[in-house]
Amino acid sequence: MTTQSSSVSSLVAPHGAVALRASAAFKTVRRHPTIAVGGALLVCMILIAVFAPVLGTVDPSAISPMLRTRDPSAQFWFGTDMMGRDVYSRVLYGTRVSLVVGIAVAVFASIGGLLVGIVAGFSRKADAIIMRLMDGLMAIPAILLAVALMALTRGSIGNVILAITIPEIPRVARLVRGVVLGLREQPYVDAAVAAGTRTPKILYMHILPNTFPHLIVQATYICASAMIAEAILSFIGAGTPPIVPSWGNIMAEGRALWQVKFYIVMFPAIFLSLTVLAVNLLGDGLRDSLDPRLAGRL
Amino acid sequence: MLAYVLRRLMATIPVMGTVALFVFSLLYVAPGDPAVVIAGDQATPAQIAHIRESLGLDRPFMVRFIEWVWQIAHFDLGNSIFTGLPVNRLIGERLEPTLSLMAVTLVFAILTAVPLGVVAASKAGTWIDRTIMMFAVFGFSVPIFVVGYLLAHVFALELDWLPVQGYTSITKGLWSWLSHLILPSFSLGCVYVALITRVTRATMLEVLQQDYVRTARAKGIGQTKVLFVHALKNAAVPVVTVIGIGVALLIGGAVVTESVFALPGLGRLTVDAILRRDYPVIQGVILLFSSAYVLVNLGVDLVYTIVDPRIRY
Repeated sequence: MTTQSSSVSSLVAPHGAVALRASAAFKTVRRHPTIAVGGALLVCMILIAVFAPVLGTVDPSAISPMLRTRDPSAQFWFGTDMMGRDVYSRVLYGTRVSLVVGIAVAVFASIGGLLVGIVAGFSRKADAIIMRLMDGLMAIPAILLAVALMALTRGSIGNVILAITIPEIPRVARLVRGVVLGLREQPYVDAAVAAGTRTPKILYMHILPNTFPHLIVQATYICASAMIAEAILSFIGAGTPPIVPSWGNIMAEGRALWQVKFYIVMFPAIFLSLTVLAVNLLGDGLRDSLDPRLAGRL
Repeated sequence: MLAYVLRRLMATIPVMGTVALFVFSLLYVAPGDPAVVIAGDQATPAQIAHIRESLGLDRPFMVRFIEWVWQIAHFDLGNSIFTGLPVNRLIGERLEPTLSLMAVTLVFAILTAVPLGVVAASKAGTWIDRTIMMFAVFGFSVPIFVVGYLLAHVFALELDWLPVQGYTSITKGLWSWLSHLILPSFSLGCVYVALITRVTRATMLEVLQQDYVRTARAKGIGQTKVLFVHALKNAAVPVVTVIGIGVALLIGGAVVTESVFALPGLGRLTVDAILRRDYPVIQGVILLFSSAYVLVNLGVDLVYTIVDPRIRY
């Protein structure tokens, strides 16, 4: 079980092991180039998001009716939309929305799924009820569930995050539950129980760290699909409020003109695809390095 | 076998029960009082109270839920708040484009993805394998509307080979029906193809290491026959499973695809209903899609016995 030994070593590593770990990390990256490619691409996107105000952008919401639907040029790199807003600035600021939604959903869905999964995996009584509920939630296609939740609330980034997180929780819960059920059979957990360790401590010390490798891989995929989901919600008009320059909103606004002004739709589309690709590559690489049995398989 | 089918059918009841409970609560917790909406701006409080009573909105949650389930069991999904038309009829009118889109996508995706996965597995580690897997990663990453607009831009606007948008019924000719569905199906199918390809490849990699594959090769059976007859048959269960699970992707994707290509289907109905907060329609569509999804996966479970005779119930 490589996954266990690696996470255990990261828990108990003494100070002198830092250099060793750095070189191990370098080795991992070299063996799985997708981590490097995905990671680099993602870092670029994060830098764009952070430094959006200083990358030659103007106010992404500034309307100038005189300059409507200008084609891309030296002055407007990505052209302007039907309200004369600078598409370049809007797309760059849109990076923030996508990354915030993607990361927030990945974190919240992981925490939520982890809690539900551990409870279901450790309590026979709760398991039956919880997993029935999760099965029911999973029977509703994720996007549809998110769309339905958005119908209940006002469009805001917080609500979008919540609406995308909820459909993801059952999937994480099911994964964690499976891992926990497997771990419960491990001799060291038996040993801990026999030694009289309290359940919370077993969960915290033995179960929790071993769910992390699975959880991290799952979280990257959730991050990728959450960014697509956010764009879909905004695109059909049920996502972030139109005032927010998110990629989905820019595409939704460009939709009416796409046959003549294709670039308005295309630029946010390219950014969205690249970001999702980066996260997916990172996830594939992490999965391969954390679970060598799967490497090169899926 | 019959006992198994019955047992599986029974197992879907709690799942559908949870779905129903969720869908019902949707209306229950929805902001805004339906009675106020239906009564209109000019209504007096007495009129609103009357409407609330006639709709049974003043009764407890569980009573209303059971009544609602009873109504659903009789295939009555209520009336649209916005148009006043029965939800059944609205869904019926929109069913054909969505079913057509999904059917064409399903056929196209399976016919592309399974051979791609088989080839990738048989050429594992070569540039052919790597190229196919690269496309699979791209398929996962490029969102439907991106593929959709790109295809429409190239094949409909620039080259003028296919219609840009819209839908014509299958009753008006097979080609005009199909031609309107090629680009939407391709856009919708990308993720699905990627998913099936990856699973097919992974399963085939395992199967190709089995003794019977070596035996088949030793007997002098050709590569194609070994791959597609001997190996693929044994890899069928995970592949069929992922085809079933992936239907959820198709359902979610249909909502977007129909918006991009202006197909008057259930996805558009959903989007319009969401924007107007037409809850009975939203409930009806979610119930319909979810039961379709559950039924598809029930069907997949039954297909197991056909593709793998070793599985008996």
